[in-house]
Amino acid sequence: MNGFIQQIQRDLKIAWASRLDIGVILLFFVIIVTMFPLAIGPQPDILRPLAVPLLWIAAFLSILAGFDRLFAADLRDGWLDQVALSTLPLFAYVIAKAVAHWLVSALPLLLAVPIVGLLLQVESAVLPSLVIALLIGTAALTLLGVIGASLASGARQAGGLMALLVLPLALPVLIFGVLASQPEAGMLLSPHLKLLAAVLLVLLAIAPPVAAAALGEADDDGGA
Amino acid sequence: MSSAAVNTAKTNAMTNASNAFLRLNDIAIMRGQRLIQQGLTHDMKAAGITLITGPNGSGKSSLLRAIAGRLAPAQGSIECNVPILYIGHQDGLSPALNGRQNLQSWANLNGYAATDGEIERAIDALNASNFADLPVRVLSRGQRRRFALARLCLGPEQALWLLDEPSAGLDIDTTQLLDRVISQHLDKGGMVMAATHLPLAPKTRPAILALDDINGATA
Repeated sequence: MNGFIQQIQRDLKIAWASRLDIGVILLFFVIIVTMFPLAIGPQPDILRPLAVPLLWIAAFLSILAGFDRLFAADLRDGWLDQVALSTLPLFAYVIAKAVAHWLVSALPLLLAVPIVGLLLQVESAVLPSLVIALLIGTAALTLLGVIGASLASGARQAGGLMALLVLPLALPVLIFGVLASQPEAGMLLSPHLKLLAAVLLVLLAIAPPVAAAALGEADDDGGA
Repeated sequence: MSSAAVNTAKTNAMTNASNAFLRLNDIAIMRGQRLIQQGLTHDMKAAGITLITGPNGSGKSSLLRAIAGRLAPAQGSIECNVPILYIGHQDGLSPALNGRQNLQSWANLNGYAATDGEIERAIDALNASNFADLPVRVLSRGQRRRFALARLCLGPEQALWLLDEPSAGLDIDTTQLLDRVISQHLDKGGMVMAATHLPLAPKTRPAILALDDINGATA
């Protein structure tokens, strides 16, 4: 358990040391969202029904952009070898990486949603359920990214491969997420949100062992 | 450990780890689809040091990775009853952190309670304190190597050290520091196995495990 927390701390320290890279993800998100009112036009009655789906797509794309870094650096630097020899099991390492990655790349987006939502005329009544749904949805997407990043960790064009691997699998998250973000009046915990949470729980069970197995095999970077 | 063994350990540091061992039984190693070594058998005891020599591609690094558990041997078994510290080709350092932070996070990961003082001693043992506060990104190959090797000073005493070309990139003075770190480890009953082309810790009279390039006969 201690190694688990230490791994998260290490990743947060590294993220802080290279915080400009993290800022790029947030900026990417803001720019995507800004492009829609410019392209569609600022009319509230057109933008408002599109706002929630657009925010979801923008969040997905910007989080996806950070996935190729998930394990690549640890593999390249040889840190993964050190983890494999430590008492920290690989699946716990994978969960720690996912937690740190979510904190670094998804949490800033969630905090930015109420502000950039203004650009898209998001109704303030929708905001709480939108943020809750995005919180669960981005966590699920991060776990999918963990699977994709671990499977692609030996590949040369990992970024493109990852998008192909992850995006189709992310469609249920997108569908339930968008529905859960716009519940009927007075329902904070809609059935869709529960389905979204169910997807997250399934991924939480599947992703760590899959990624641990993939990383355990990915040892061909050691040189001759 | 029985109380008798504890008493012996107090009287003689060399027998402290007398039950430490590494056994390689009839190992075969594959890389991809190629068989690169077979029929390897080797035994090591406490305070033993073995240098693995052989031409490029003869499987020195792969053998170390197999012992470290990062490459499953195609055949045979590997037994070791002490913790393993592995310093591979890659240094295991994050370029974004400085050397001190890298050592601290490695010690924390392994649960080796490393005080600031112990970290400083490890850094000093390889004469790396001058650049311990710079991000590893800006350091030279040899400077990074010193932090990778400084990990050895933070680990448990009776560990098996697996070193892959440990002195690669080190200057002569630092190579001598490394030799000293290795002999101190052996004095405490540790084991060292190193793949190297260069002489390493010659005063400790290391055993040599010479690997042949089994695919090289036709070349």
